[in-house]
Amino acid sequence: MKGMLVVLQNDVGDILPSRGFLIVVIIIGVITLGTAVGVPIALNSWLASGLAWEEAKPLLELFMGLAINYVPLIVLFSCMATWATDPIAKEKAKGPIESLLATPLTAKAVWIGKSLAIFLPAYIIGFIATLIVILAMNLASILPTTGHFVLPLPEAFTSFLFLPLLMFALILLGVIFSLITNPVIGQTIIIFVGVLLLQVVGQVGGRLWWLLASWDYALYNLAGAAFIGMIAFYLSRSLSKERIILSSKGKWA
Amino acid sequence: MSDAIRFEDISKQLGEREVLRNANFVTKQGDVFGYLGPNGAGKTTTIRILLGLLQPTSGKATILGEDVSRDEARRKIGFVLESDGLYDNKTAEENLWYYAQIYGMTEPAERIDRILSRVELRDRAKDKVGTYSKGMRQRLALARAMTHNPELLVLDEPTAGVDPSGQIEVREVILNMAHKEGRTIFLSSHNLDEVQRICNRIALIDRGEIKLCGEVEQLRREMSGNVVEIETTQLMAEPLFAELKSLSHLGLRERKDKTLTFVLQEGTRIPDIVSLLVRRGVEIEGVSKKEASLEEIYSAILKEVEPS
Repeated sequence: MKGMLVVLQNDVGDILPSRGFLIVVIIIGVITLGTAVGVPIALNSWLASGLAWEEAKPLLELFMGLAINYVPLIVLFSCMATWATDPIAKEKAKGPIESLLATPLTAKAVWIGKSLAIFLPAYIIGFIATLIVILAMNLASILPTTGHFVLPLPEAFTSFLFLPLLMFALILLGVIFSLITNPVIGQTIIIFVGVLLLQVVGQVGGRLWWLLASWDYALYNLAGAAFIGMIAFYLSRSLSKERIILSSKGKWA
Repeated sequence: MSDAIRFEDISKQLGEREVLRNANFVTKQGDVFGYLGPNGAGKTTTIRILLGLLQPTSGKATILGEDVSRDEARRKIGFVLESDGLYDNKTAEENLWYYAQIYGMTEPAERIDRILSRVELRDRAKDKVGTYSKGMRQRLALARAMTHNPELLVLDEPTAGVDPSGQIEVREVILNMAHKEGRTIFLSSHNLDEVQRICNRIALIDRGEIKLCGEVEQLRREMSGNVVEIETTQLMAEPLFAELKSLSHLGLRERKDKTLTFVLQEGTRIPDIVSLLVRRGVEIEGVSKKEASLEEIYSAILKEVEPS
């Protein structure tokens, strides 16, 4: 546990001052700002038509569901694609990973520490971006018009907990592949599954949009997280220092 | 003295290749143990097994009484691997701090400061390692190896790729660690001169097999045969040299300036040769039994195992 925290602290310290982090923060900032300004403008014109609160509430929850589902998804995915495997590839090619494994750290501590280091900054950025969008929608349009604050629970759970859990499971899977095989494989898995998720959410949002505000959708995310997490933990049985070292000598290095 | 490293019948198979075959050696605490061998002989595999990075296919390896697969064993080892493993984007201090935390050191600041001074990098402590020369990097890697004050240091080619002045600096640090601090050192190297200067015991590995293991001085004596060098005060005249050379029981082989080289023959003793030379009017400056250099031992052993 302590070893994992040391790896986490070190890797977060590497990610935060990096150029990749700055670029992601700028991109996410632009998306968040656009959503925080654009959605309330659209909402205002819609609410101005004079709907009663009882009629407006489910529609507003749906509307918010659509908005806040995309924000954490895009944020987490962008961060993962940027940070997930490149540092591991460099560490394997240049040698720090071998030195790290020659210490009392276990291979599992390195795996979970590195995965958390990728996930946590992404989660914090995603959390802040989603919160900004929720507050902007409520403060700039919903609260002044209806007098109520809207935060639908299923969407809140999905955005702040289940979707991040799904992404964390995906990171665990990607990092394990990066450690025991060629890091490009890990990166490909993360990008492939990430794009698949964006597509699914896009399709659901376009055709079955009412699903996004449901507990069913929240639980699908939770089930997805559990499924990918179980695969990652099953594969972690094959995670050993020897596998990491021998895979570091591959052609890609 | 108790064993520092015990390698018992270790074999390692990687795919189709047997990288180590029944390797056996023991190093005692306080030894500076040189591990020699050509490229691909199995030196790095041995080190990886010592550090728990690879599991032996068969056999048992222990470090200071602990099985090498146990975390406890790795707490007692400091290491410098073939690739220094330093983080270029961190300063020297940050690199050491990271490892100090991994080893569970709570207040490492003072220790880090002292170690950086010892390897003469205190002035550059706040500089990114990416700006360091190869020699400085190796010194920092040695400093990192000492951060948690280990009992045993495992060094894999610590001077490889370092320029001559850098090699001297790195060697001085190693000598200090060995002789002043009394640490046990396992040094894998290609540099025979370095090993001869630093190590008291060696093992020679080739194609996964330990060909020779023992104390350097003893091996030099054993491998030197019966070569005697006699230094004369004056250059020996050609007729006398030819005459002495014709006496086969003397075993005179060559004359280089004022030095005569004899290979002792059965039944001939050094005093016999000396008295014969004195009788012939040769003034003797000194007599010495020539010991084989590590390079000669290395070449002889590798020649023996070369396929016909």
